[in-house]
This record gives sequence, C-alpha cells and structure tokens, in this order.
Amino acid sequence: MSSTPPSSPDPKRFEVSKGTLWLDRAMTQLIRVGGLAVILAVFGIFFFIVKEILPLFTSAEVEAEKVVETPGGEALVLGVDEWGEKPFLYRGDGEVVVVDMESGERQVLPVPSLEGVEVTAVAYDAVKRRVAVGLADGRVGSFLVNYETEFDDEGERTIVPVVEPEPWFEVSLGDGPVTALSYGDGGSSRMIVVSRETGLAALRLGQKRALIGKPKLTLKDTTDLGALFDAGVTSVVASQNGEAALVAGDDGEVRYFQVENGEIVLKQTFEPFEGEAPVRMDYVFGGVSVAMTDRAGEQKVFSLFRPEGSSERLFGQTKEFDEVGEGTSIFAPSLRNKSFLTGGGGKLSVRHLTSGATRWEGEAEFEPVAATIDGKSEHFFLAGGSGQIQRFHFDDPHPEAGWRAFFGKVWYEGGEEPVYQWQSTGGSDDFEPKLSLVPLIIGSLKGTFYALLFSVPVALLAAVFSAAFLPHDMKRVVKPAMEIMASLPSVVLGFLAGLWLAPLIEDKVPSILLLCLSLPVAALIVGRVWSLQPMQVRQKFEGGREWMVLVPVLLLAGWVAWSLGPVLEGIFFVYNDPATGREIADFRLWWPQATGLSFDQRNSLVVGFMMGFAVIPVIFTIAEDALSNVPKTLTAAASALGASRWQVVWSIIVPVASPGIFSALMIGFGRAVGETMIVVMATGNTPVTEWNIFSGMRTLSANIAVELPEAAPGSTHYRTLFLGALVLFMLTFILNSVAEVMRQRLREKNKLV
Amino acid sequence: MADSSNAFATTGRSRRGEPFVWLTAAGLTIGVILTLGLLGLVVVKGLEVFWPDRLEVFEVDQDGATESVAGYLVQDRTRRDLDGATHEEIQVFRGNLELYGEKFLFLDKADIRDTSRPDDLLLVERMEGGHVIGTAARIEFGDGARVGAEDPEFGDRLEALIEENEERRKELKEIEKDQIGRNAKQVKELTLRRRLIEDGVESGSIEAIDAELQELQAEFARLDEERGEIRERLEADRFLVASADGRELGIAGGELLHVFEPNRAGFFARLGETLRRMWSFLSDDPREANTEGGVYPAIFGTVVMTLVMSIFVTPFGVIAAIYLREYAKQGPLVRAVRISVNNLAGVPSIVFGVFGLAFFIYFVGGVVDGWFFPNAEEPVYKSGGILWASLTLALLTVPVVIVATEEALAAVPRGVREAALACGASKWQAIQRVVLPASLPGILTGVILAMARGAGEVAPLMLVGVVKSAPDLPIDAAAPFIHPERQFMHLGFHIYDLGFQSPDSEAAKPMVFATTLLLIFIVVVMNLSAIIIRNRLRKKYATSSF
Repeated sequence: MSSTPPSSPDPKRFEVSKGTLWLDRAMTQLIRVGGLAVILAVFGIFFFIVKEILPLFTSAEVEAEKVVETPGGEALVLGVDEWGEKPFLYRGDGEVVVVDMESGERQVLPVPSLEGVEVTAVAYDAVKRRVAVGLADGRVGSFLVNYETEFDDEGERTIVPVVEPEPWFEVSLGDGPVTALSYGDGGSSRMIVVSRETGLAALRLGQKRALIGKPKLTLKDTTDLGALFDAGVTSVVASQNGEAALVAGDDGEVRYFQVENGEIVLKQTFEPFEGEAPVRMDYVFGGVSVAMTDRAGEQKVFSLFRPEGSSERLFGQTKEFDEVGEGTSIFAPSLRNKSFLTGGGGKLSVRHLTSGATRWEGEAEFEPVAATIDGKSEHFFLAGGSGQIQRFHFDDPHPEAGWRAFFGKVWYEGGEEPVYQWQSTGGSDDFEPKLSLVPLIIGSLKGTFYALLFSVPVALLAAVFSAAFLPHDMKRVVKPAMEIMASLPSVVLGFLAGLWLAPLIEDKVPSILLLCLSLPVAALIVGRVWSLQPMQVRQKFEGGREWMVLVPVLLLAGWVAWSLGPVLEGIFFVYNDPATGREIADFRLWWPQATGLSFDQRNSLVVGFMMGFAVIPVIFTIAEDALSNVPKTLTAAASALGASRWQVVWSIIVPVASPGIFSALMIGFGRAVGETMIVVMATGNTPVTEWNIFSGMRTLSANIAVELPEAAPGSTHYRTLFLGALVLFMLTFILNSVAEVMRQRLREKNKLV
Repeated sequence: MADSSNAFATTGRSRRGEPFVWLTAAGLTIGVILTLGLLGLVVVKGLEVFWPDRLEVFEVDQDGATESVAGYLVQDRTRRDLDGATHEEIQVFRGNLELYGEKFLFLDKADIRDTSRPDDLLLVERMEGGHVIGTAARIEFGDGARVGAEDPEFGDRLEALIEENEERRKELKEIEKDQIGRNAKQVKELTLRRRLIEDGVESGSIEAIDAELQELQAEFARLDEERGEIRERLEADRFLVASADGRELGIAGGELLHVFEPNRAGFFARLGETLRRMWSFLSDDPREANTEGGVYPAIFGTVVMTLVMSIFVTPFGVIAAIYLREYAKQGPLVRAVRISVNNLAGVPSIVFGVFGLAFFIYFVGGVVDGWFFPNAEEPVYKSGGILWASLTLALLTVPVVIVATEEALAAVPRGVREAALACGASKWQAIQRVVLPASLPGILTGVILAMARGAGEVAPLMLVGVVKSAPDLPIDAAAPFIHPERQFMHLGFHIYDLGFQSPDSEAAKPMVFATTLLLIFIVVVMNLSAIIIRNRLRKKYATSSF
C-alpha cells in the first residue's frame, strides 16, 4: 500500500496528508460496500431459492382473445390442432369447418361419406381427434380430422387440415335413430357403444391386416347391453383402450362393462349422484379417471382402483369438485396433464385432478356448447351456440403443485385411499407425479432421530466428563481430536457405512443390542466396585483418568457382547419357516415375521450409527463449552457444602448449563437433518412413512442430490426439489438461530454470577 | 473448575453417585475408541491396498478332480447355507479375467487339499482386464523371435519390452490428445466460421476456409496413419503367462504395465513395490472405469477447486468480517446479522448446491453463454464446471472465514488499536498496519478450515460440475491454458462413484479405501495445521507480547 508522502512544510506539518485521507475514505467505502455486498449475497441465497419456488403457488393465467364468427348454426364438436392455430367445427352435417384464428379465414372440408345422411348423435375424442357419428337409420361411423404440417423454403410452418373418413357399421340390435354413442380406440381393440331409441349395443371392432395399405377395420361382434336399462340411457362413454365402457341409465345407475375373455361383462353398478343420472361422463388424460357431471352441475371424479380385499379394479369416487354451473355443461381434457376445462351455463373453470384444485375460474362472453384444449395445453377454445369461436391463451406451468399436493394426503389414480407419496417421475407421458414432501420430511426426521438416539448419550456423557473431571492437559488433546472428527468428510462416513458397516452388522443385530446394554452396565459396575474401595485406595488414583481405565474394560465388555450375540439370537430370535417348519436362529428373518416390518441391509441403524460420527463432535463441543463455563463460585460452594463430585455435576453444573446443552442438541439436530452423503450411500433411498429402525428412508437432502441433476430446469419437479431445499434451509436456520440466542443468553447470565 | 472438583474427588469425602461419574467417563471412552477406531480402520485398510500380498497356489477338490488356483487371499468368511450348515470360506483374487470370467473366487476351506507358495509366480499389471497371475512362459516378438522363460536374458528382455512400450504409449497419447485434438478443434472452429459466413453473419472467404480445411484433413490423415502404426506396434509383441491350471494367457506388449514376483521379494523389495504402487496411485490416470490406476486427475481437480475457492472466499470473507467488526455500528441489527452468518455455516451443504445450480449455472452461465458464445452448439458455461463449483463452495465456506476473522479481529487488544490511532494513524492505517497483521494467523486458520471443509464436501458438487471421469484437466497445455468451464474429478466424489455407482464394487473396494485414506489425510493435515496455528496465536496473546 502507498506510504505517506514526505511531510509538508512547516505550518501544515500536523495536517494529515491528502493521500492518507483519500486512502482511508476509499477503504472505508470499499469495505462498507464490499462487506454489505457479501452479507447481502449470502442472504440472497434465500431469496433466490424462494424466487424459484414462487411459481409453484401461482394459479393459472388465462387471457381471452377475440371472437371469430362462423355463421351456420350450433357446433356439436369443436377440435383443434397441436399448436392451437386452426380449430375445426362440426355441426352434424356433411362438412367440417376449419377456422384460422389469426386471419379469421374459413375453410370448408366436405366429408364424403356423410353425404345424404341424417346425423342424430355425435361424439368426439380429443386424443385421436375422431368424430364419431350415429345416424337416424341406426348406422354408426366416424372420421378423423388430421393436421399435416408443411414447411416451406423459409422454414415457415403451415398446417393443412385433412379429413379421413372411416367405415360405417350397422347396428343390428335395437330400433330407431342413434341417440348417443362413444368410440373407444385402443389400437388393436376398439369398441363403439351405441344407444338407440330402443336398445343399447356394444360393437367390438377388429383389425384385419392387409398386405398392402392400412389394416382394414371390421366388425367383430355386437353385444346387447340393453337388458339392464329399462328406463333408458342418459350418456355413454367407451374407455380409451377400447376394452371397457360406462353407461349411465336414466334411473341414475352407472354400469361398468369390461371385456373379459373375449366377452363383455358387467363389472360394477354404482350411483354417482343420488337418483340423478350424469349427463356427461368424460375421461381425464390417462384414461383411468372419469369426471361425471349431473344436470345440476355437480361434478365428481371416479377412478379405477383395486379396493381392499378385491382382486379387480373397480370405479370408486376419489374427488368431488365444486359445482360447475347450471346449464349445458362442457368438458375438455388437457392432453398433457391431469387438468381439464369444464363449466356450465357460461361459467368456466380449469381444474386439476390430482390436487383437486381449481386452477382458474371465469365467465365466458357467450354460453359455450363445446370446448377443447390444444395439444400443448397453451390454448383452449370455446364454441358458442351461434357458431362463435373464441380462443383463450392459457398458461399454467405447474398445475400439479400446491400446498395440498406437497403436504396433504392425496388420492392418486389407482390408489385405494389418499396417501402421502413421493414419486416424481414415471415411465409414460400420462404419469401422475406424486409430489408429497411428507415422506421425505419423515425420512429426514427418522434418520435424525436414530442418529441422535446414538450420539446424544455418548456426546453428552463425554462432554460432562470432559468439562467436569478431565485434567487440563488431556482436554487440550481431546478437544482438537473432536474437532478433527467433526471435519471428517461425510462421503467417507457414508462409504464406510454402506460398504463396510452395513454388511458387517447385517447378521449381528443381537450383538449390537447386547453392546448397547453391556457398555453402560460395565461402566456402572466398575464405578460401583471402585466406590466401595476404602478411601486410602481411592486416593492413590488421581481423578479424571477414569476413562483410560475404562478403555480395556469397555473393549472387553464389547468383545463379550459381540460374541454372545449369536447365543442371544439362538434364544430369542428364532425364525419359524412356515414352509418347512424348520427353526432358524436369524434376526433378519425373525424381525419381519415378528413385527411385519421389513429388514434391509442398509437400514436406519447403520445410518444412525455413522451419522452419529458427524453429530457427536458437534454436540460434544458446544455442550462441553456450556458445561465448562458454569461459574466456579457455584461449584466451589456446592463442594464446600459437602456435595460429592457427582452431586456437584448433577445438581449444579448440568442444570445451570442446561440451555447450552439444549442448544447443542438443536445444532446437532440441524447437522443431522441436512446430512446428505451418508444417507445417500447408506440407505436404499426408498421414500417410506414408517419409523422401522431396520428399514431405510429417503431424506429431503438425499432426494435433492439424487434427483436434481436429472430434473429439467423450470419444471414442477425441479421447483419442488427447490421447495425441499427451502424446507431444509428454514428448518436448520431457525433451529440454529434459536440455539445461538439461547447460548448467548446463557453466556451473559453466567458472566453476571 | 475441573481442578476444584478434582481436588475434592481425591479426598473422597463422599462417594455418592460415583458410578455415574464412571458412566460419563464411559461416554468419553466410547467417543475416543470410535474416533481412533475409525481412523485406524481407514489407515489400515488404505495402506493394506498397497502392500503386495504373497501369492499362493491352492489345490482344490472340485467334484473329485483337483484344480489349482493361484491368487492371493482377500478375506475369510463364514457362510450359512439354506440347511443351516456353516461353511468356512476364503475369498481369493485369482485375476486372469479372460480365462475364468471372474476375478474373485470363494473356496470352501474343507475342499483345500494343499497350499504352496511357488517362487516364480508373477503378478502382472496391464492396461485392461485386471491383473494376471501365473508363471512366465515366453515372449513372442512380432518379428517371429521367441524368448523362453528359461532363457537367461529373459528378465532383461521383458523389462526392455515394458519400457519400449511405455515410450510408444506416450507417443500415442501425444498424437491422439495433442495433435489430433488440436486438429479437431481447428476443424470445428473453421466449420463454424464457414457456417457463419454462409449465413451472412460474418464476412470472409469461404474458399480460403475450404482450403484450410482440406489442409487439416490431410494432416489428420497423416496423423491417423501414424497412430495406426504405433497401435500396430503396440499389438505386435506378446508376453505369455501360464496360469496355475496350465493354460496360457497372452498379453500384448502395449498392455504390459508392470511385472512383480511377490513370493521371491524380500521385505525391502516389497516395501519398494509398496512405494511404487503408492506413487502410481498418486500420479497415474485412472483405468478400467476408475477401478485401477491412479487418482491423479481427482487430486488435481480437488486441489484446483479448493484453491480457486480460497481465492474467492478469502477477500470476501475478510472484507465482510472487517466491516462487521470495525466499521458497522454495533447494535441489535449487526448482532442479528452476526448470528445469521454464524448459522449459515450450519445450513446443509446441499442447499448451497441447489442454489449454485440454479444461480451460477442456469442463470449466470446462461447469461455468459448468451453474451460470449451465442453460436456454440453445446452450452459452455451453462453447465457444471470447476468455476461454478468453486464459487458454490466459496459461498458455503464464507461464513467460516467471516466467523474466524471476526474472532481474530476481536482478539486484538484494544490498547494496541488505540495506540496506533493515538500516534496519528487513520482508521484504515491502524487496521492495515496493526490490526490485520496481528489477526493474520486467525484469518489463516479460518481460511484453512474453510479449505478443509471445501475439500471434503461432495453433496453440493454433485449438482455443480463434478463428474466421474473427466478426460481433460481444468488447467493444461492447450490454449487458453485455464478452462474454468470444464467439468472435473474430485476425490470425495471418486469415493462415492467407485463405491456406489461402479458395476464391480468388489473390485473397486481397494481403490475406494486408498482414496478415502488420501482424502482423510488431506483434510486432517489441513485441520491440524489450522489448530496448530490457532494455538500459537492463543499463546501469543496469552503472553500479550506484540
């Protein structure tokens, strides 16, 4: 740094040189700004993480765009391409009208097969973009609306809609025009459920593979389902795999039919609304859940799951939503996630199946008769009674998030009851992410609990001894040794836990149990024997060296316990093989049989023990500090009054230092909660919600370490992992702050004495 | 206080509660035994890896026939089969992967008829396939010449063969990595420029670039040919080893790394071999999915990352501490800030990793890439790298430095500070010339502690750029010499990866123990030096000589 320039001439010689002043000011500014910046940056972590999480808790944003008029009457079907650019309308006549939302241009595509027929019922499947039609003469048929993309030389995309007709089928059962139908397409197996004025039939279609060209669709068989529906049929829906159908009768009963061994059989009859038939039954994306809406606008979701004690998957109510609104109800499933757009009589709402949350609510400018969502879930469309089409921009990146999804019990598709579950990724597109943080929080607490169970007694006993009895010269070695132990990389502890300790103690559990018992008992016995010795003998021995005497004693006791383990196992932990009736003395087999819980090699016992290595030094150091700082005047007074050295410790030192001990426990807790590598390496990382000591767990921190590298930035999964990090951050920060404040208070109090 | 209670204890006036005193002593005893046991375990297991075991030949009964198995003992174990009967077994490393399909074998002790230690058993290290154990048979040279094991020149010829091939491998590496690598890089750059010119983003002549490209292609063809020649020569000679059961196994000259006769070697020869193995562990690149060879890149990565981290953490930590202690107005707010900073040290490290990933990599890295590498095909800074890892760890350890520095500053006696001010020093002068030098050891302690913590931390690194195998070091001879965006290897992650991600974790175990020992050694040495410096510092102030 610069030195002071040569001193100025006489009168100014006591003035400080400009350079020095300037430097002083500059450094003051630098340190002010720098120091504040560093501190702010460190706290910026918190805000940055919060910023990443906030989008999880925002609801959907919907922006209405302009209405395009298409004269020609009420639309029966509204569909749209993948990008939400060119929706189409079908009005039950012989043509499809495609509208370009940008320019408002209309394009009329004739459907050749529909010439000269009278359409009496239509159904639309948004996944396949198939319009199924039923005719007055009882025939049923369908056509697909496909969008082909073309790129010109400049790379501009144009979308060309094409209508692809499909064959007609005669319905041989029943009479009169078709009143309702549904087309279920599972590729190789397809089913059309047709309700006519009288009679209800299920047509099963088969594919004949042709040598050239597309496979040909043929009618395989027709099944009469009409016998059960005397009162008439309100609505029908065929499942997306073409193997099942739901039919709602006018009496309010819904019947579930399924293909079994080539026959359509009735599986289940249930009444979703009391005495009232659902007017709409629509599959939510994934084909497992059906949203049912009745005339009054009540909406319930039924999902397929295996009820307890049943071997079959049946429908059961899993969710109940608010009323959608009275009037013609609309429904459009998202093709990306479990959201759907629904509404009635001009009211609109976007709902999410998993969380049961309403993501958005609004009013339509006109009463919609049909709705659809584009393939990217970025737009939805409404069609009005007089042919209007309106596009809405729709932005909801995290529909599956929310307080209820993260911290509440959620009834997932296929589950028999609401559960806490974490399963963030799955194999298929229609996978339902299960994002409950509860199993992870329980996992973290479980690991921490078992770690503290082992480390707290050891650390506190050692701290008491070290503070109250250990001679100074030994203390100078023990304390740094503990500090070094605290700095052992956790990856090393994790590796030893997983690859060395876990296989070692896997079949030695009874030995471990004996160890936990024998060590303290051995120490107490030695102490008792020692205290019975006459004073002359005891005085020869300088206090504070007891722990060295105990080294061989405890090693011996440990060895005895270790070798007696198998004996104990032979007496108490005998597994009875139900298959052969043989008895095997093996704790690993006995535990599941006796308790019904599992036994894993990499279990909480191993984690707890190894994590203890990380936690013991932390607790020891802080507790020892607190115990050592108890004012001498207090202990001396107690001793002078004739207290034994244990009485001094137990009735003076420990109570006075108890806030410090408590804060040591809290800091130890914080260390264990956030520990990552030991848990990743020493458990199976399965998210569980049980407290079994012989099973593993998945903690918040391990979950982040394992899943974050794979998570797509900005996705719900990614942000949920951030939420996990924030939970950890808050938990440890608050715990540590409380502990620190307690410690400072204690220090001040002790100063005054 | 400890003294006072002791004084009474020895008079033994009252023995009430004495057993509980012993119970507390047991706590300390257990703590000490556990710590020493753990360190001892790591040291023993880690050093054991390098010590050459004697090779043995076991004659084993196998369904009536006798089979010879040569190898060294790995462990004893007792296995209980389904009938409840126990078997005493030994695990033997027998190597020769091509012949047996597995490197390890369990032998039932009851089946072993005989054990011997023939002097001429060899332990051969090679590039791929693990060790070979057997007796030397002959060398077959590419030109048709053969030298049998009984030939007196055999030993020298074998040594010459190994040395020769080492030279060739070096040459090959030079060509592959430096020359071909440079060539490929130039081609990539030129192709990119060509595309930019074509798109009209930059101006220049496409013809000139094409000519250059052609030249580079010609150079590549020449290098490729040269490479092929060396490879051929590496394959040409073969060293044949006879296994214990009489089969022969050929090792190409280029594969040969080292040959050792553990049974013939005396104590000092074995010690020498141990040191050689240690050196190769420290200085070699890893081979065979990290389970063989050395950990040089991991050491390099750890050291560079820790140093870069300390370069960031020291000035920031010290400035923040000086501000808090010397400049900020002491009050409840500063106290709250101090407690919070202190507590940040207790926030789980993975949280910092999460922040590093989102902030440094996705946010800052994205911005940097957008500004400086808009045309890059793959993200340059928007992916894990040593710079981001260092910054993340710097954030993680800055509380450690702040706390240590503050303590050191607070320990400087008030009188010293006031004396400086009284002599007319400005505030900064007093800090710079008096306070800082006095607290330097304390600051140093903090920095060393931070480095020790950083060196041992793995969880956050897994998110911000550590990988199991990085072919290029973050600092090398290729311009611009320092590559802060490169991914790197790290000793701690090496342990995790070898122990838990490796397909053959049994074969990897010795490597993991050796790496563990090395990592613990580094961390303990750093901690010890921090403790020693701190103790010196304390003594200095205890005598209050300045």
